[in-house]
Amino acid sequence: MADEDETKEYRWESGYEKTWEAIKEDDDGLLESNVADLVARAKRKRAALKDTGAIQLGMMRHLFVVVDASACMFLQDLKPTRFLCVLKLLEVFVHEFFDLNPISQLGILTTKMKRSEQITVLAGNQKKHIEALQQLKDLSCEGEPSLQNSLERAMNGLKNMPAYSSREILVLFGSLTTCDPGDIQKTIKSLKDNNIRVSIIGLAAEVRICQEIAKKTGGTYNVLIDDHHLKELILNQVQPPAVAGSMEASLVKMGFPGASPIVNDGTSDSSADHAPAYCLCHIESETSSLMGPNGYNCPQCGSRYCELPVECKQCGLTLVSAPHLARSYHHLFPIKPFIERAQVRETTHCFACAKLFVEAETNVYECENCNQIVCLDCDLFIRETLHTCPGCASDPVTAQMKTN
Amino acid sequence: MLELKRALDAKGHCLLEMPSGTGKTTTLLSLIVAYMKAHPLDLTKLVYCSRTVPEIEKVMEELRKLMNYYEKEMGMEQNILGLALSSRKNLCIHPSVSKEREGKVVDGRCYSLTASFVRARHAADDAVPICEFYEGFDAHGKEFPLPPGVYNLDDLKEYGQMKRWCPYFLARHTITHANIVVYSYHYLLDPKIAEVVSKEISKTSVVVFDEAHNIDNVCIDSMSVKITKRLLDKCSNSITILETTISNMKENDSKRLEKEYKRLVEGLRDATIARETDMALVNPVLPSEILEEAVPGTIRTAEHFVAFLKRVVEYIKTRLRVQHVVQESPAGFLRDIHTKVCIDRKPLRFSAERLASLIRTLEISDLTDFSPLVTVSHFATLVSTYTKGFTIIIEPFEDRAPTVSNPILYFSCLDSSIAIKPVFNRFQTVVITSGTLSPLDMYPKILDFHPVIMTSFTMTLARPCILPMIVSKGNDQVAMSSRYETREDTAVIRNYGNLLVEVAAAVPDGIVCFFTSYLYLETIVSSWYDQGIIDQLQRHKLLFIETQDAAETSLALINYIKACDNGRGAVLLSVARGKVSEGIDFDHHLGRAVLMFGIPYVYTQSRILRARLEYLRDQFQIRENDFLTFDAMRHAAQCLGRCMRGKTDYGIMILADKRFSRADKRSKLPKWIQEHLKDTNCNLSTEECVQICKRWLRQMAQPFSREDQLGISLLTLEQLQSEEMQKKIQQRAQGV
Repeated sequence: MADEDETKEYRWESGYEKTWEAIKEDDDGLLESNVADLVARAKRKRAALKDTGAIQLGMMRHLFVVVDASACMFLQDLKPTRFLCVLKLLEVFVHEFFDLNPISQLGILTTKMKRSEQITVLAGNQKKHIEALQQLKDLSCEGEPSLQNSLERAMNGLKNMPAYSSREILVLFGSLTTCDPGDIQKTIKSLKDNNIRVSIIGLAAEVRICQEIAKKTGGTYNVLIDDHHLKELILNQVQPPAVAGSMEASLVKMGFPGASPIVNDGTSDSSADHAPAYCLCHIESETSSLMGPNGYNCPQCGSRYCELPVECKQCGLTLVSAPHLARSYHHLFPIKPFIERAQVRETTHCFACAKLFVEAETNVYECENCNQIVCLDCDLFIRETLHTCPGCASDPVTAQMKTN
Repeated sequence: MLELKRALDAKGHCLLEMPSGTGKTTTLLSLIVAYMKAHPLDLTKLVYCSRTVPEIEKVMEELRKLMNYYEKEMGMEQNILGLALSSRKNLCIHPSVSKEREGKVVDGRCYSLTASFVRARHAADDAVPICEFYEGFDAHGKEFPLPPGVYNLDDLKEYGQMKRWCPYFLARHTITHANIVVYSYHYLLDPKIAEVVSKEISKTSVVVFDEAHNIDNVCIDSMSVKITKRLLDKCSNSITILETTISNMKENDSKRLEKEYKRLVEGLRDATIARETDMALVNPVLPSEILEEAVPGTIRTAEHFVAFLKRVVEYIKTRLRVQHVVQESPAGFLRDIHTKVCIDRKPLRFSAERLASLIRTLEISDLTDFSPLVTVSHFATLVSTYTKGFTIIIEPFEDRAPTVSNPILYFSCLDSSIAIKPVFNRFQTVVITSGTLSPLDMYPKILDFHPVIMTSFTMTLARPCILPMIVSKGNDQVAMSSRYETREDTAVIRNYGNLLVEVAAAVPDGIVCFFTSYLYLETIVSSWYDQGIIDQLQRHKLLFIETQDAAETSLALINYIKACDNGRGAVLLSVARGKVSEGIDFDHHLGRAVLMFGIPYVYTQSRILRARLEYLRDQFQIRENDFLTFDAMRHAAQCLGRCMRGKTDYGIMILADKRFSRADKRSKLPKWIQEHLKDTNCNLSTEECVQICKRWLRQMAQPFSREDQLGISLLTLEQLQSEEMQKKIQQRAQGV
């Protein structure tokens, strides 16, 4: 984003910054380093929390993202503006979200001028959401936001979702005030009754009511420090949360459309399967064109889709492919948390990235299975992205054990 | 704790400054109770004085926790009796009397039900109403002491209900043998009340004054008298009532008046006997030599005394009929009253006692009507007793409204040490403590005592949870100051407004602003309104304003809290020295930021203050300016301290005046604030200040749990016992 900064604003237009203070050596040992330390520890804690083992995860998620579009989102403390920065990160989020939660659905709301607007309805198609987000960039931010209105609206959308799915709201809240028509406590209560989890990411400072909402509905509340931290916070929401109360476990009917445009071998009525047809996702848009034989047919009603996962428009069946399910599989069997150890002399470098340990780094992390030592960054990377320990994977014995 | 122990060992007085929310009360209570257990002979009683009823309740709550802990650890019932005492208004359980709102009315009605002659009359005639609870207490309660335990006001009431005993009198009776007594300052400092309530507290007690930063003012108030024209009119009325009652009584029952006369001749000898044993708290109003004399003949008979009172009242009335301000010493006043209406000093001295005796004799049960007369008689006694340390000021009109004639006579105490002296002399240890006592060396001077220990403590914190800043200029570089010359300047007012708007945009939830006076608040708000700043402000937060009307203010406060709770955010504009700045805590989200607009100097044109300053200079060698700064800074610190109520709390403190950054002002802030006030934050413009706020707020919003505090500001038992920590503590103790 560095080049964007230069084109969008001049140095004198940006906020007053004391850059020399950021790199200042800490004399009293109180300020920056301490807070950075807190953040690192919080990271570990979150990672550790997630891996506590036998908890039921809400795999089928229904999530509303509420984006604050009030006047304060034009502030430039995130570059280029808070609003654009958030939208950009949301695009990444939407992408990641569907990557990790293929059988989930997402909707987007904005709130400004004391009202709340629906941008996209709950749907499983990431392209649509990303498009909508890109269009939002031209939206003018004005007025005050209303937490209550947006929560009510999201709640109406989520109320009727099946009980086995996890209902969530994620609010990206830049304002420090909310302008509500009624008593927000009632809204909080009904959110709680409906088993909806509200997580809030604050862009400016800790607001009491947000804290309270998050606490009462079982969500999280975080406030960013800078844009990197914001990214981290948003991406933390990608992981499916542990199920709060009593969510019933049930079988969900799903369709697995065959994807292969294989030549007709005459075993089925494949002539219908591969006949050129309109794709149902684009049938309403003007750019729709006749599709070739590549596509996915709903095994129940035969409608054709150009991509998965999707909910069939005709019969309402959830269509996924096997790799999608496999991708969310690792949530169910996360790798065990690494053990935090004080740095020892013998191991001089990180097993994963081969970085030499420096004095400043006091703690290293050890895998329980293969006893390899990695650094903090690798530990987080393994946990959040790889989902497999490089030590275990490269050791044939443990790798075998794990697959067994 | 170490310091406190030293003071207890030395049997001397001590002065401790500890930030609020750091367990001040618990520390004091636990050490003193432990000391009482260890040395039961040296230390028999703890008298804990606080300011308001909620504070008293808080102390009781702490004490209860402590006792429960003792019980758990020692495994047996503790033989300690803790007790809270408040006025009749808070303790009455009489079905109709307790419904009264005003304290004075409750006192009066209670007196009319429980006075000895009323009860005597009741014995003869059943129709005379009495209080059944008092009767119950009188019949049984005096023999059975209260079982050991901790009683707060509600517990007392409950206990009273159960036993059908009057809780107020029960509490008063129990004070003599309770180990821990918690009540308001006034029971000890106000000579009129102290005599009734605190007389029998033994010498080997520890007295703690909590939240004592204003103790000198309390002392002065308790000795000062203010007389207005309306009050004098009421006096005349009550004198007429007295006259008629006396003449009635003369016809019916002249014997009683004669009896009184005889008693007065004998003098107040019983009181002298009590004083010889050194049990009673010396009443500063009435020095002991007076007690040995008999009441002078001129006011011995009832009629004469009433005529005498009448003359005094008339004399004061003529004095009030002045066109210009008069200031004179008590001696001058006495001379004048002698030449004009031929009243000697001696009878004046006795007027308070004499009036009390007369009211008793006349069996007047409704005391409320006589309070103006009592005030005047107190004035007469005080003026004739003390020639030093007091002054009389008569103002024909108020400064605010020079055209309206509203004459007031101030009899003002200038020396705060007079009221507190008996307390210091009598008790072996007096502890004065508060969150904001800086600069510490001023208190011993103005209260005239010698503390053995004088310490200011700081907080050990895991994160920098207060952010004090001095904002000295606006974005246009115009200096901000509430100095008299610049306070009308629109540029300054606009800069103040911009500062508030920008802070309101950056700080979540509640913001409290303090102005130097109501007048200044009003002018600023009205010019903000013209400049459109109010509109800008309301875009971010709702606006509430403290007024001089208590009911209005409490309504504003309720709504302020509501607005903070539901996320709308609010700004409260209030006044340093007002109600908000004194007793109300803005913890956590209720006060994320405190702004202090200007330095809260007292109104320096006031004649009372001038007289006091002069007196301080002559008697204690305190320069006027030093005292004014001291007074202003302790109020500023008090206001700032409102937002910090514990270690998990955090708050911004903005001092918006150029003059704060001067060394003489800065160094007078409490140590725990100074510690966080860095040089880089001392001369900021509005914009710099807002940037720092934003970054700091983000840091503070990061999750902060108990584990983070462990080892730094919270110690486990093992950590406390570890050698390293012991060393650290040693170092700290020496550093202090």
